Order: sequence, then C-alpha cells, then structure tokens
Amino acid sequence: MKTNKKILLPALFIAVMLYSCSPKNISTKYYYQNEKVLDSIEETYKEINSSTPFDVGFTSKDFTIVSLGILTDSLKYIYEFKVGDNRLADTLKKFGLPVKPVIELVKQMQSIRCTWISSYDYYTDEKKQELIFMSIKPVALNAPLSYKKYYILTYFQQPQYFDNDGLLLERRKLKRLRKINGEIFKRINDKVCYTVSTTYR
Amino acid sequence: MALTTNIHIARWLQLYKKLLLFAISSLLYYTSVGEYLVAAPVSITVQKSTAKQALDYIDSFDFTGSDKVWPNVKHNLFIKNIQKNILHPINIYPGEGTYFCAYSALSYLLLQEDPLGYAKFISSLYKNGKAIFRDVMYEPSDAIKREAGLLKYKGIMDIQPADQMWFLTLADHFKGYLNIFNRKYDLGDESTFWASVNYAKFNRMGKKLLECKIESKGSDFLRPRIKNLYEYIAEKLKKGKVVLYINNRIVHKKNHVKIKLAVPTHFIVIEKISKVNDVITLVYWDNGGCTLIQLSPAFLKRIVYGITSFVNQQADENK
Repeated sequence: MKTNKKILLPALFIAVMLYSCSPKNISTKYYYQNEKVLDSIEETYKEINSSTPFDVGFTSKDFTIVSLGILTDSLKYIYEFKVGDNRLADTLKKFGLPVKPVIELVKQMQSIRCTWISSYDYYTDEKKQELIFMSIKPVALNAPLSYKKYYILTYFQQPQYFDNDGLLLERRKLKRLRKINGEIFKRINDKVCYTVSTTYR
Repeated sequence: MALTTNIHIARWLQLYKKLLLFAISSLLYYTSVGEYLVAAPVSITVQKSTAKQALDYIDSFDFTGSDKVWPNVKHNLFIKNIQKNILHPINIYPGEGTYFCAYSALSYLLLQEDPLGYAKFISSLYKNGKAIFRDVMYEPSDAIKREAGLLKYKGIMDIQPADQMWFLTLADHFKGYLNIFNRKYDLGDESTFWASVNYAKFNRMGKKLLECKIESKGSDFLRPRIKNLYEYIAEKLKKGKVVLYINNRIVHKKNHVKIKLAVPTHFIVIEKISKVNDVITLVYWDNGGCTLIQLSPAFLKRIVYGITSFVNQQADENK
C-alpha cells in the first residue's frame, strides 16, 4: 500500500501539472466568456486604425510598458512608454491620434491582459482585405511549464471557410489550411478565429 | 591493465579536445567574416542607370511565352510589380512571415544603384526561366517556377508575383551553412531554413549583386569588437550604405520570455543615425518602409552582430 502511494502521488502530481500546462483548457469558451470586452477592443481599434494606422501592445510581462507603433506616409515610429506617462498623450496628439479613445483602449487592453493589437492586409482575388490580430495572455496560460502562452484572435471582415474540424482554410475549393504567423486557426464564428501561440505578434 | 585503459582514455580525451577545437575554429571561420573586403570598380551611391531607362526597357521588351515558364505569374501583376519596384524601391516587401529580409535589403540597394540592370534581369528571367546577372547564371528549380505567384497571406506580396519570383530565385541560388539540411524548395519553405541567410552568405550575395566595395565586421555568433559603435556606423554611413545584422528578437519583442537566444535574425539598411544626450535615433529600412527608433548605445551594442558597408569608393578615395 505504501509503495502504491509512493508511485501514485508523484504520478498524480505530474498529471495535474501536465493538464494545467496544456493549452487545451483554453478555447472558444474564453472568447464567449469575454466576448463583450474583446469585441469592444476590436471595434475601438478598428475605428481609430482606419484614420491613422497604428499598433499597440505591452512589451513587459507586468503590463506596465506600452509599445506604440505609428505608421505615417514616410516612416513608422516606434515608441515605448510607461502606463500613465504623459508623453504617451503628447505623442498621440503629435500624430493626430485621438488621445482619450487610445488611452481608454490601452486601459481596456491592460484590464483583460491583451498583449497586442494590430491589423494585417491580405488579398482575395487581388482585392485588399484587412484582419485585426489580437493576442491575450490569460491567467490560464500562465502556468510555469506552459510553452504556448498567448491566446490569439483574428477578426475578419468577411465570413471565412473552414474544414469539418473547424480549421481555417485558404479557400472553399482549395483544401489547403491557411496559416497566419505560422499558426493554424480554429473557428469561433464565421468571422472570428483563435489559436494558442508562443508569440504575441 | 587499468593503467593501459587510463592511457587510452587520456588519448581519446586529447583527441576529442583537438577535434572539438578544430570544429569550433572551423565554425567560427565559416560564420565570421572579420575585416572582409571586396573591391570592385563602382560605388553604391554612383547610380549606374536611371528609373526611366529601366521603364523604357520594360515597355519595349517582348514578354511572349513567359506564361509557359512561370504558369502562376500573371502578366499584368508582374508588370505593375516591377514598375513599382523601379519607381519606389523603398516599398520592396519581403512578405509577411518569410525569411526574405536579407534578400530584400540587397534588392533595396540594387534598385537604387541599377534599376536598368534589375529590369533586364527580371524580364529575362520571366521570359526564359533563367537569366545572367553580373556574370552569374540564375536558373531556379521547377518547383519555384510553379510556386511563384501562388504565395498567399504574405501581405502585399500576394499580388506582387515578380517579387515572389525574385526572392525565391535568390534563395534557391545562394546557399550557406544554414541551408545544409534543406536545400531543395518545398511548399512553405520561404519561412524555413531553406531561405535563411547567415552573415557570410549575405556578404557573398552583396558581392555578386552589387558592384561596389564591401567592408564587413561581425559574425553569426559573436558581436564585433568596436569601441564606439555609434561613431563607427556614422562614419561608414558618410561613405555609402550600411546594413546591420541584428538580433531582432529583442528589438521587436514577440513574447515576454526574459532569457532570449543571443543570435542575429534580421538585416536592416541604415538610413540615418544621430545621437543627442546618449540617446541614439536610428532610421532604418526594412520590410518595405523606414522605421524610426530611439535606443541607448548599450542597447545598440547588444543587438548588432554584423556591420556591412557598401562603400562609396569616390568618397573613400577623396578622403
């Protein structure tokens, strides 16, 4: 009985650790639990980005350092600020970005541990399309041995094609899986997909 | 018996140490380029041809039959693409998530130096499936000819088949030690070691593609020993163009891991560098545009693994 206990307890411990580190426990459920705030971040970003292209995220693990990339006609400017730093507002003003909505966006991102938001161009039948790429670092993916740490969401403008397992396809007829940033994405709904990744952008 | 065994072990250990030493020194030899210098008659800032010459050449070129060689390259997109490259070299884009940054950095320099040379080469490659550029024959494999035009979800590169042809051809032609285990193109290899570029390979490509004097310092593993890196780069920039081989993982963080592999991963072309109160402002070209960042001298030293300068020979001689 004693020998059994000696084997059973470490085995149980390892099993619990492995389960807790597995990315399986985070999926579509996370999106639906946080749908309102996630969609609100996406909407705000999309609106501001349409007038002045930019990306924003947190480069520090404790979500205190904001990285801001602003794209102008001639240059892309990359800045880093501490959250609450006045220089952030000054920079936003300088580039014609709406100060209050961007700062609200940053706060919202911080509250839900959203690490990055940006937009990507892609082309369908030679027409330019845009997707919004958002990464989140949920507490559930924070386990010490967990390799994949980021929950990635992609928001498309048009409904996408998926195979029977809900994996994102390049096109309906072409059964090739579509990769974004080297990752395969799964369906949440027709326009929103998710994956779990090692990188946030 | 025990003594003999010990002697054997000691000999083996000595041999093992020698082998290890040999392997390390060989690796350093092949990956570093030290104070490598290649002299050629023309400087990078002396333009060999003009955009107008290049556009006129394309207008008069007979492209008949090219659709058989490159079945997935659409002619109208091809023409639009090379015209754009000639008129706006700054916008040449290596594609989202590919390993084409080194090829694009050299292309950016080439398009400024000799747009006509580029136009002649790309037109001939499109028509014949092979072409000679500065005495080097480029003949991409059939797999590349099939795939060019089909690369998708790489940003604007999706609709720029000439760039797909160009980058795939360069990656297929030039090989370095990083490509040893993946030399043949397979679907998706634009984002694998098949397309990777080590520092020595980059300089070798520079020598073949650009007719200019190249000076380089650095390696794939060790940072160059330069006392004042800012001054060194600024000085080189006065004479011509400068490409830095940097560890981009710490410039553009992609995760929150504190311990990052200290290896260079990216090539950037320096446009401007200035320093005020120990803050360095760097404007560099990569991925189809220029970026401005501010960094400390210590951070600059931490990220730079190689400095290759394409020297303006006239300026050098005048000095």
